Amino acid sequence: MIEYVIKIKKRARTIFNDRWVWKMAWRDGRHNLSRLFLFMASLITGIAAVVAISSLNYSFQNELNRNAKELLGADLVINSNKKIDSAWYELFTKEKVALAQDAEMPSMVFFVRTNDSRLVKVTGLQGPFPFYGEMVTHPSEAYHKIQNGNFALLDEPLAQQFGVGIGDSLKLGEKLFRIAGTVSKIPGRGGLSATLAPAVYVSLSSLDSTGLIQYGSRVEYSIYVKTKSETETKRLIELVKPIAKKLGDRYETVERRKEGMGRSFKSIYQFFSLLAFVSLILGCIGVASSVHIYVREKREEVAMLRCVGSSGWQAFTIYFIQVFVLGVVGSILGALAGTSVYRLLPVLFKDYLPFQVELLISWRAISEGVLLGLIVSVLFTFLPLVSIRFVPPLTVLRTDFLPGKIFSKTRLIIICLIVVFPFGIATYQTKNLITGTLFAFGIGCALGGLILVAMGLLWFIRKSFPSRASFVFRHALSNLFRPNNQTRMLMVAIGLGAFIISVLNIIQYSLLGQVEFEGNQNQSNTILFDIQPSQRDGVVKLMTDTKLPLKQLVPIVTCRIHELKGRTVEEILKDTAKVREWALTREYRVTYREGLTVSETLVKGEEHHFKKARDSVFVTISEGMDENLKVKVGDSFVFDVQGILVKAFIGGIRKVEWPKDPPNFIFVFPKEALASAPQIWVATTRIDNPQTATRFQQRLVQNFPNVSLIDLRLILQTVNELLGKISWVIRFLALFSIVTGLIVLAGAVINSKFVRMKENVLLRTLGARTNQIVKITLIEYGYLGIFSSLTAMILSLGGGWLLTNFYFEVKFAANFYELVLICLSVILLTVFIGWFNSRRVINTSPLQALRKES
Amino acid sequence: MPDIVLQANQLTKTYTSADKKKLTVLDEVSFDVLQGTTLSIIGPSGSGKTTLLGLCAGLDVPTSGSISLMGFQLNAMNEDDRAYLRNQYVGFVFQNFQLLSTLTALENVLVPLELRGEKNILTKAKDLLGRVGLSERMNHYPSQLSGGEQQRVAMARAFISSPQILFADEPTGNLDEENANQVINLLFEMNRQEKTTLIMVTHNLELAGKTDRLLQMKGGRLIQDSTTRANPHD
Repeated sequence: MIEYVIKIKKRARTIFNDRWVWKMAWRDGRHNLSRLFLFMASLITGIAAVVAISSLNYSFQNELNRNAKELLGADLVINSNKKIDSAWYELFTKEKVALAQDAEMPSMVFFVRTNDSRLVKVTGLQGPFPFYGEMVTHPSEAYHKIQNGNFALLDEPLAQQFGVGIGDSLKLGEKLFRIAGTVSKIPGRGGLSATLAPAVYVSLSSLDSTGLIQYGSRVEYSIYVKTKSETETKRLIELVKPIAKKLGDRYETVERRKEGMGRSFKSIYQFFSLLAFVSLILGCIGVASSVHIYVREKREEVAMLRCVGSSGWQAFTIYFIQVFVLGVVGSILGALAGTSVYRLLPVLFKDYLPFQVELLISWRAISEGVLLGLIVSVLFTFLPLVSIRFVPPLTVLRTDFLPGKIFSKTRLIIICLIVVFPFGIATYQTKNLITGTLFAFGIGCALGGLILVAMGLLWFIRKSFPSRASFVFRHALSNLFRPNNQTRMLMVAIGLGAFIISVLNIIQYSLLGQVEFEGNQNQSNTILFDIQPSQRDGVVKLMTDTKLPLKQLVPIVTCRIHELKGRTVEEILKDTAKVREWALTREYRVTYREGLTVSETLVKGEEHHFKKARDSVFVTISEGMDENLKVKVGDSFVFDVQGILVKAFIGGIRKVEWPKDPPNFIFVFPKEALASAPQIWVATTRIDNPQTATRFQQRLVQNFPNVSLIDLRLILQTVNELLGKISWVIRFLALFSIVTGLIVLAGAVINSKFVRMKENVLLRTLGARTNQIVKITLIEYGYLGIFSSLTAMILSLGGGWLLTNFYFEVKFAANFYELVLICLSVILLTVFIGWFNSRRVINTSPLQALRKES
Repeated sequence: MPDIVLQANQLTKTYTSADKKKLTVLDEVSFDVLQGTTLSIIGPSGSGKTTLLGLCAGLDVPTSGSISLMGFQLNAMNEDDRAYLRNQYVGFVFQNFQLLSTLTALENVLVPLELRGEKNILTKAKDLLGRVGLSERMNHYPSQLSGGEQQRVAMARAFISSPQILFADEPTGNLDEENANQVINLLFEMNRQEKTTLIMVTHNLELAGKTDRLLQMKGGRLIQDSTTRANPHD
């Protein structure tokens, strides 16, 4: 026989012209779709989370563009914390533009019928505000009524809180008003601001007659301007700029408000998209693991196909087509599911949005979701699928045959793409390279941490599990270490959701602990401010009469920076502005006293003092502000105190624990420097009994109507409610991660069905009863739940500690009762999912199982 | 003189174990196979029979030595080319049938010809299934067939591409006596009709005795090459 080497000439076939691979994909797939349930479910959940959040984002952006002018209610607004200067009236009269005005200030309101009082934002309105959008009142004519001076309107939540309505009387300062109705919508104010700082609306002229506006009152005056066109607005802004700069006033345009609103929403969106991103990454893990298991089960069939002449690429293509088609279907279903969830989101977000978001279907979000789904289904399945190419045909003869490691360029490229994917997708999601990179890095750290903790925990359990435990406990545990059981992957997948929820819980609890006043018996919980010097002794007497302790009585002087280190503010601003503008131009509320308070520690220099010999004033500055102003001990300032220039030097730097025993200050002066300056006083006390608090408030409002009172317990309650609402939204979105984790678990259980069946048959053959097998199954998933939640807890306590100490800079605190509840929920869910998916395996008779196996 | 369809020359196969030790499972085995003959490879477990079969069929490559199948040097080919060669010239029957569980009996039989891209193959497949007595069961899935029926489907699949060589690995290993006899009779009958060269690995000496030639393996070496009949083409 002549030996010859022939280069085999085969017909080149691609996925598009090889009908056989499509036929085989269909034939094989029609009975295997349930095996790819995990793949589909993981993809659907991951994509649904992303589409839901993206849809909300796009709808918000659309709405923002549509309602831009309604956000401001005018084309231009001038804001000032002093009476509107005549220069503005001159300009606007000359320009012949329509004007409206308001003035806002915090003050106490007293409801006559119910005898209740509360700190509110009093708003005096004048003119045809708003120019854009509408002020929705109940009844509708109520707004016009307040213009006659004797009527007031209330934000709806305020009226509900105190059970007052039309016809009831309220007192602001010295003046009584009748309630004309309630306000449910006003341009520029969202639902949340009405809850946090509810407002009472009166006419601007009647605000003057209340006597509330006195020296030191914090009043914010605004002029709303309506122009005839965009061009006129632009021209007007150019005229406004120099006047605003000269007077130290601010102006706001529709664009600026839109940008600000967009920025705020972007932060929220970025945070929520992080949760969606976690679901997506878990989905990717689910996708990869399901196809990995699927491909492993197909090894022998692939080897058979190779024996009868299929090429590696043909075998690969059969399964690639299946996965790709399911990927398309899964992505579409995920996008549809996401759109359905998105329709629920505005219900959750309604308190945080400044306007109602119209629920239009976002085709952009849907198409992005479908595209993302396709990328995920190709990228994360390619690696296991590509191994099909290298299944040796010899596997048909020796199932345990493993070929040596084969270098594949395709594999290398895919690994690189998988590494890049989280960074790319997070950047796209957050629309910011740095945030995206941090997102992906953070998730990588969390996953890495979970894997390490899971590995450590499993190692420890394996080493230390009592060998004398009963058979079912030992067998259930050994099942977790069954080859290919993916226990570690499951612990990470289930643990990640629990980790997110636990960390949030810890942060919420720690933040609340920060504003918790109840625990510290010596700390003030009530602050009285806007006390005029003439009222000081009266207020102190009232406190003494009501048997309330006077914790602090401090003077407050308002001033601005005139010069810094020998240069005027204007000169510094003209510079490349290394010093922050807000820090230079803001109004400072400073105090004078000797020594430090309990919330202060001197970290540099000396305490504030006055050197008579040199007539020098040495102030102290709070730590952090020195960096904002770029100053150090010894640097000079000139403060403008009500028109009088006071030169001072930085004598020292104080570390201030701001939430502790307020009020606290950025600048503290020596007494000698400001004692004779115009000032107001703030007093603090502690009221433990709610009845005493109500009685004291009533007497305060009646005797000193301009003095306002902040009940810190009320703030605590509001903060608690706010955090509660936010955490509810976060938990809802974190549910996606939990659901994806459980889907990964369900899929893993389904995929290991045949191994379990084999084991159960063996156990039954050896005499195990059904209830023993049920027990083993339940205990196995119980272990998995316990280990997963333990993994999550260990990491969340560690992560929570790091975040509270180094990011939020608050004291770490954890509510262990709630953390245990989270653990129990995870364990129960894991056991249920495990049992639910195994029940057919448990109930299968040995004969049936043997038949199936053969 | 018939052509040589398979030529094994100094075949050696070595595996490296997990602890890096080299294990030689086939040691310098050489033999030729003439077209149309039947040949059995026998020997105790671990003697290298299956490894030899795998190398001869191009399912694996030797560590050293060479194999020529239908004149093609298998060593010089890549995996896909060898797969193509198998599709063109080789048929297989395995101990555990190796049917694709998601395909019906008929679809299983069609696969080799579909891979060739041939048209109008349905009649041929049905005819073959009829010859193995499974006309009524052709739309059943492997899980719905008995072991004997599954092996007959496997035989129909092996013969549908009219292979030059048929490799059989313990074809009756998983069958009871009655089914085993039925399958063996069918295998030899079809082999005779199609004039296929048969290379079979078996433990069953009675079955081995039915082939023209017998290769006996021990410890990876070919220790005996004997002809069982005077004229192998009878």
